Amino acid sequence: MTSEARRRTTVRILKRVGLYLGLVVVVVAFAFPFYWMVATSIKTRIDTINPAKWIFSPTLENLTLVFAKRNFLMYLRNSLVTVVSTTLLSLALALPAAYAFARFRFKGKENVAFTVLSLRMLPAMCVVLPYFLLGRFIGILDTSLILIIVYMSFNIPFAIWMLRGFIEDIPIDLEEAAWIDGCTLTRSLFRVIIPLIAPGLAATAIFIVIQSWNEFALALFLTSFQARTLPTMSTMFLSVTGIVWGEMASVGVLTTLPVLIFSLVIQKYMIRGLTFGAIKG
Amino acid sequence: MIVLFIIVIVPMIFLWYVGFTDYDLGKGWDQRHSVGFSNYVRLFSGEDRDFWPAVLTTLIFLASTVSLEFVIGLGVAMLFNRKIAAKAVWMAFLIIPLTITPAVIGLMWKLMYNTEYGVLNFLLNFISAKVNWLGPQSALLSIIIVDVWQWAPFVALMLYAGLQAISTEPYESAVIDGASSLQIFRFITLPLLKPMIIVALLLRSIDALRIFDTVYVLTKGGPGNLTELLSLHVYRVGFEHTGWIGRSSSVAIVLLILATIITTIFMRVVNIARPAAVANKIEERSG
Repeated sequence: MTSEARRRTTVRILKRVGLYLGLVVVVVAFAFPFYWMVATSIKTRIDTINPAKWIFSPTLENLTLVFAKRNFLMYLRNSLVTVVSTTLLSLALALPAAYAFARFRFKGKENVAFTVLSLRMLPAMCVVLPYFLLGRFIGILDTSLILIIVYMSFNIPFAIWMLRGFIEDIPIDLEEAAWIDGCTLTRSLFRVIIPLIAPGLAATAIFIVIQSWNEFALALFLTSFQARTLPTMSTMFLSVTGIVWGEMASVGVLTTLPVLIFSLVIQKYMIRGLTFGAIKG
Repeated sequence: MIVLFIIVIVPMIFLWYVGFTDYDLGKGWDQRHSVGFSNYVRLFSGEDRDFWPAVLTTLIFLASTVSLEFVIGLGVAMLFNRKIAAKAVWMAFLIIPLTITPAVIGLMWKLMYNTEYGVLNFLLNFISAKVNWLGPQSALLSIIIVDVWQWAPFVALMLYAGLQAISTEPYESAVIDGASSLQIFRFITLPLLKPMIIVALLLRSIDALRIFDTVYVLTKGGPGNLTELLSLHVYRVGFEHTGWIGRSSSVAIVLLILATIITTIFMRVVNIARPAAVANKIEERSG
C-alpha cells in the first residue's frame, strides 16, 4: 500500500468515526430526558433528589403508589373511553368525505378541502372557550362525551386529509373494474378501497389515538373530576414545594408508554401524519 | 361534513359573539352586555397591561424556536443523509420527543430543570455553573429549549425526507465541475430543499402559536408574565382568578387571526406543491 492510499483510508475511517460520534450525540440529546424520567420513576424517594447517583437499586414503590393513591385507573379508563370512541367515530365520519375529496370533481373542491384542514390548525386555547360555555349550557361539562366531540373536531379534518392521500394512491382502474362487474359505489368502497388502504387506515387510526391520548389543554378545562384523562394528572405535580419526583415520573412513564409503542409501529408514516398527508415522506 | 360544521363552525361563531360581550364567569349568562369593540380597544390601547408583552413574548418565542429548530433540524438531517448501519434504529430515537405526551414533556423537563436536585445543574456543577432555569432570568430560554428539543426532530425528519428525494444527478455534475462541498450545499442542496423547508417552518410557526401544554406545566406563564404567550394569556384572563370570558375571548380571537394568517400561507404553499406532485405521479405512471 502506498502512503497516499494509506492516508486516504485513514481519512475515510476518521470520517466514519466522526459520523457515528455525531449520531451518538444526537441520539443521547433526544433520548436523555426520557431516560432520566424512566430512571427517576424507579428510584427511591431519597435517590430522586440526588442526581449524582447514577447507579441505584430500582424500586417499584412509586408505581404502586400511583395506582394506590392517585386513582390512576380512573384516569386510564377515561382516557381509553375517550380515545377509542374518538378514533372510531372520526374514521367512520371521515372516510366517506375523504373518498369524495379523492374521487369526485366538484366546484371549489380544493378550497373546501383546505378550509377543512385549517380547522385542524386552530389553537386549542381558541376553541376551549366556546366549547366550555356551550358545554356548560348543555350540561355536558366533565363528561367523556364533550371530550369526544371536541377531539373529533380536530381529528376528522386530519383523518379526511390522510385518507384522501391514501385513496388517491390507489389507481382508479381497480374501482372501475369493480363497477363494470356490477358493484355499487358503497360496495366497491368496502370491497376494493378499504382493503387496499388498510395499512393507511391503521396508520391514520394510530395517529388519532396518539393525538387524542396526548391532548391536554382541552381536557384540563372541559373536565374537572369525573372525566379527567391521563395527561391532566400532570397538574397534580405543579406546586413547587413537596413535589414527589418519583411519583411524578411514574405518571409520566405510564402515560407515554402506550404512545411510544404505537409511534414505533407507524414510524414509516410519521412524516406523512405530521404534515397531514401533505408530504408523503 | 355537517357534523364538522356543527362541532366546529358553531362554536367559532359563538366565540366571536362572546368576544363582543362583557360576560363574566362569576355572573349569570343573562347579565352579559354587548360592549362592541371595547374588549379589543382595551387590548390594543395597552389598558390590558399584559397583552402587548404577551404578543412580544409570543413573537420572540416563535422566531427563536423556529430558527433554532431549522438549524438543528437541518444539521441532523444532513447527518442522517449518509450510509449508516441500522439507520432505522437511530432514527427511532428522533421519534421519542415527537410523540411523548406534551404535558409529560413538561414534567420531564421540570425534573431536569430543578435548581437543587435537577440533573442539568448537577452536570453544570462540573464547570461550576448554576442556573435557576425557571427563574426570571432564564425561564423564557428554558421553554425555548424544551420546544426546540421537542420539535427539532420533526424538522429533521422532514428535511431528511426532502434530501432523500433529491436525485444524485445534480451532485454528480457539480463534482465533475469541481464544486466545493460548501458550494454544493449552497447552490444545489438548499434550493432543491426549499419547498420542504418552507412547509416545515410554516407548520412549526403555527404550532408555536398553538403551544400551551408544556409551558403551562413548566411555568404557567410565570414568573410574573415572563413566559406568558398569547395562549397562556387567554387562559389567565379567562380561567385563572378572573373568569372574564368576554375579554378572554377577544384575546383568543386575536390569536385565531394570527394562526389563520400563517395557516393560509401554508395552504397556499402546499396548494402550489400538490398539483405538481400529482402531475409528477401521472408522468411516472405513463412514463
